[in-house]
Amino acid sequence: MTAPDDVDLDRVWTSVAAEVWRRHPSRLERTATRLLRSPGLARALLTTPSLLFPWLIASAVILAIGALAQVGANQPLVGLLAPVVAAVGIAYAYGPGIDPAWELACSCAVSDRLVLLTRSVAVFAVNAALGLAASATTLGTRAETHTAQLTFGWLLPMTAVCALTLAVAVAFRSAAVGAGAGVAAWIVVVLARGAFTAAPGTSSTAASLATAVTDANLYLPYLAAAVLCAAVVYYATRPQRGIQ
Amino acid sequence: MNIELSDITRKFSRNVAVDGVTLDAGPGVLGLLGPNGAGKTSLLRMLATILPPSSGQLTLLGRDPRKPADRREIRRRLGYLPQSLGYYPSFTVVEFIEYFALLKEVPPHLVPKAVAAAVEKVDLGPRAKSKLRTLSGGMLRRVGIAQAIVNEPQLALFDEPTAGLDPEQRVAFRALIRDLGQTATVIVSTHLVEDVGAACSEVALMSDGKVVFRGTPQELTARGEAGQGVGDAPLERGYSAILSAARAAS
Repeated sequence: MTAPDDVDLDRVWTSVAAEVWRRHPSRLERTATRLLRSPGLARALLTTPSLLFPWLIASAVILAIGALAQVGANQPLVGLLAPVVAAVGIAYAYGPGIDPAWELACSCAVSDRLVLLTRSVAVFAVNAALGLAASATTLGTRAETHTAQLTFGWLLPMTAVCALTLAVAVAFRSAAVGAGAGVAAWIVVVLARGAFTAAPGTSSTAASLATAVTDANLYLPYLAAAVLCAAVVYYATRPQRGIQ
Repeated sequence: MNIELSDITRKFSRNVAVDGVTLDAGPGVLGLLGPNGAGKTSLLRMLATILPPSSGQLTLLGRDPRKPADRREIRRRLGYLPQSLGYYPSFTVVEFIEYFALLKEVPPHLVPKAVAAAVEKVDLGPRAKSKLRTLSGGMLRRVGIAQAIVNEPQLALFDEPTAGLDPEQRVAFRALIRDLGQTATVIVSTHLVEDVGAACSEVALMSDGKVVFRGTPQELTARGEAGQGVGDAPLERGYSAILSAARAAS
């Protein structure tokens, strides 16, 4: 039996193959497509390394341990850990060495700058949610007067640390360098504030370290640092720079 | 003309990778030959709009890639296979090609057919649902070629596309780019002169960042017969003769 002359079998086969091989996007991907109005951007978002399930589990475990320590030992660890966990996630969201096909993605119509922004915002939001959940589990277990700051105050330092991490990562084109800079900067700030505020009669070392997230005087410098680092990211990702 | 380069230069610190290249190309297959470090990959990256020139004028598909809107339009019509293409090991062949079809903004309703057509063109149908981590190097290279052609590009850039392909696949690839060159501008950067002889309608030879020869493969062969070139094949002798002359001149 042969096909009629006017039937293009190659075309028919391609149509069949297209249906057989068609990928059905998940509900999450369909929602992201609607929100971002770009199937490509939505797909790029869902391939973010630091939003993959194992990474999220690892982040949640670290924050859960922090929450347990906070409950058990009355040490405000969630606020100190959350900025670091988020910063590392941001560093590993997108870039050379992180995305295997980064060079190719840079040649595509969906802007790599937009992919970076979308992934970074998503990683930040997810980590903020994880941090808030971890903080929520510790509510009512402390005697400090800084409950609100300890619960929400770390969001601003987290923003600054994440912005610094991202700025260094894109400037040096290295996730490891960015993550290292963010973590190191946060440790320096926490230790410096701890040393500055520690005084005889301080209830605990961790409590004095926690002033890095409870001291309202630091909020403006955190905000300024975040804005400055955002400007660096904007400059470092300009198309004129290209890939090297 | 789909490509118009005028006195294009690209520097990396003090190193001049591309030195005052002027080149234009319309539909057809242009082979880009040259030794390591000649500037082929830097030139291809500039044509792929991912590396801006340090100086000079670059027009692609009648548009200026410095302008964001133009750059986006160019990229929608661009196919690019980098020299070293990374893969997402957990993606299947179809998922990988589909991902790049979406990033190239192929209309979503056309994506499944475009992906299927690209998979068939590189003869990966039987492995369409295989994870990339299970494929051989040659198969991965074909996946890379498939993503480059999934949007039916008007400008296709291939950097060492036949590296890792067996002879049968190489012949199939040459047929594919000849077919693509009927309507699009195809630039193939390669070390393999036999690829150029079999598939390219024109050749540009680069040395030290400059284009030192532009002509047909037959003209390149003729240079070898007339000059002091060495090599087993006529094209190799032409390649060698022009490089020797360019080095002597510089």
